[in-house]
Amino acid sequence: MGKLGRTDIFEAVFWLLIAIIFFAFSFNFNQPIEIYKFGATGWPRVILFLMALVALGNFYHAFSKGSKAQEGRVGAKENDDPIEYTSTGQYFKTGMVLILPLLYAVSLKPVGFYSGTPIFIALIMIAWGERRVRFILTNTILIYAILIGLFMLVLNAPLPQGNMSPFYDISAFMLKTKTQLDQMF
Amino acid sequence: MIENFLAGTATLFGDPFTIGIFIFGVLGGMLFGAIPGVSMLTLAAILLPFTADLSPAQGVMLFAVIYCTGTYGGAITAILFNIPGAPENAPTAFDGYPMTQKGMAGKAVGAAVLCSAIGGVASALVMMSATEPLAQWAIMNIGPPEIFALVFFGLAVASSVGGRTIWKGWLSVLLGLLIATIGQDPVGGINRFNFGYSDLAAGIAFVPAILGFFAVSEIFIQAEKNVSGKYSAPKFNVDFPSFFELWAHKIAVVRSIFVGFFCGILPGIGATLAAFMGYGEAVRWSKNKSEFGTGKLEGVISSETANNAATGAAMIPLLALGLPGGALTAMMVAVFQMHDLEPGPLVFYNSPELIWIVFAAMFYANLSILFVGLIETKTILYLLKIPFQFLAPMILMLASIGAYISRGLVLDVIVMFIAGIIGFLLRRSGYSIPGIVLGLILGKIGEQNFAQGMQMVHYDLGTYFSRPICTILIVAGVLTLLKSLHSAFFQKPKVT
Repeated sequence: MGKLGRTDIFEAVFWLLIAIIFFAFSFNFNQPIEIYKFGATGWPRVILFLMALVALGNFYHAFSKGSKAQEGRVGAKENDDPIEYTSTGQYFKTGMVLILPLLYAVSLKPVGFYSGTPIFIALIMIAWGERRVRFILTNTILIYAILIGLFMLVLNAPLPQGNMSPFYDISAFMLKTKTQLDQMF
Repeated sequence: MIENFLAGTATLFGDPFTIGIFIFGVLGGMLFGAIPGVSMLTLAAILLPFTADLSPAQGVMLFAVIYCTGTYGGAITAILFNIPGAPENAPTAFDGYPMTQKGMAGKAVGAAVLCSAIGGVASALVMMSATEPLAQWAIMNIGPPEIFALVFFGLAVASSVGGRTIWKGWLSVLLGLLIATIGQDPVGGINRFNFGYSDLAAGIAFVPAILGFFAVSEIFIQAEKNVSGKYSAPKFNVDFPSFFELWAHKIAVVRSIFVGFFCGILPGIGATLAAFMGYGEAVRWSKNKSEFGTGKLEGVISSETANNAATGAAMIPLLALGLPGGALTAMMVAVFQMHDLEPGPLVFYNSPELIWIVFAAMFYANLSILFVGLIETKTILYLLKIPFQFLAPMILMLASIGAYISRGLVLDVIVMFIAGIIGFLLRRSGYSIPGIVLGLILGKIGEQNFAQGMQMVHYDLGTYFSRPICTILIVAGVLTLLKSLHSAFFQKPKVT
């Protein structure tokens, strides 16, 4: 297997799958354009072809030379202190770090910014290993206050309000209070 | 020119409200550029509706000032946290962040302040003296084939920096180009790769993708270190570079001004490519190529000079031809349109006072980078002392708001976090995030200009290559690719 590692094989499969899947989907819009000879599929298919070709080159490079950084590559850092995963707990922790923000983003539509944000801030601190309750509480309040102060009160930025009760009602209450404050000053 | 400049200065500083807007633009651009997670684009998107209440000159001037100072501000987050405030600051992080890790953050930020000011002022001076002749030259000599050729050359340069191997550099650029094909095709308006989601018909917006790839992925990397107990806070230091240290790089500064100005003047290209090319040229001409990427001051200098040199130049196609060079200049077109004006050659004749207020404001904004920037830098370095557990959720929240505000779509926040996860996984495997982002930004411009160029020459490659600028750029791009291909096959891996 030369100098191939498991990640090299995974990477090659990943890029080739992307190229194949996108190529298959390109048939959905394979329509001619009267004024342009190469049509809507020409450009993306060239990219996909090059992607498959370069993925094979990448695979060959890993096979013959391993996955170390090439000499003279600018801005490329060799991972000199790689993080070794030794337990499922570690995978779980990193998984939570990655998934929690995505869950927050998905929940923005029903829950809204005003209700979802403090919960998310506290959860993300816990997921990142923070266990001091007072630290979590004070920092959650502080970050939330900065965000509300800057974007809601000063910049008047429109933020998602949610569409589910009681979250929508909480957002409406906050916006109503803000309008009342505006009228007072 | 001098009379016009003085008249513009008098109008700018003659009215307290206009002065207030100028100061707001200078501080707002610097602040939003320097807060990790948001950028000058976030501020511009928030302010856009309010410009309807301003005069056209005040509105365009405000955006021009934010553009100058925000381009500098983005360098601070690139240097301190490896999170470029904008794509044009991405090459700054190559050497700026390693300098922070070595305890040289003050030197890197100080160099960014000075070189941003020099690049910006030089660019503003050329812009003031030569907008009309340069616009004429661009009209006569630069067409879609030349723009496509420059995009090709820029992508060839970008693929040669960042990835752990040349193959990974290319794959990164190709991924960016592929993401850019999502949405309507630029010729026939046919929906591509929208997978049944109508929101994807408009394509993947730059702002959330850039925030995801740069800011969110960096936070994830630091968070992974944090949960594994391997996180170490960056070293704090406020030592500025000495005059002699900067003087030693005078050639890099001059070269980057030329590169930045040339890239900025071309419609649709903007400061991002300028920064990459400025950095790439610094590497190409250096005797110690291997030191780049490890914390070399010249890397920061060349990138920051070039991107600010492009800000003045980017105003030339905008004002003279009505063609924006990037997201922020596109918002300036919106400001013009709100006031029933169209940027283009007629603006010079119909509204000369507007043009000269903008020119004067950009000149003074670049100068103020030097003075305000030096004072601000001492304060902003204290960001390094904020604990990660506080800073990271704050950055994620600011990035979420920044992604949402530009189009008001929750989808953009989802896209940002997905880009963050992809960026996190690709960075761990040695792929180049700046390469992906440059591919994403230049993909549509490249395709559109390739299609227009091909239609222009009736698909005849002979005619295509009979255009000298186009041929030079394509040949330079091919040589860059061949050189990196040669090194991929015949060079040994790094011994570590």
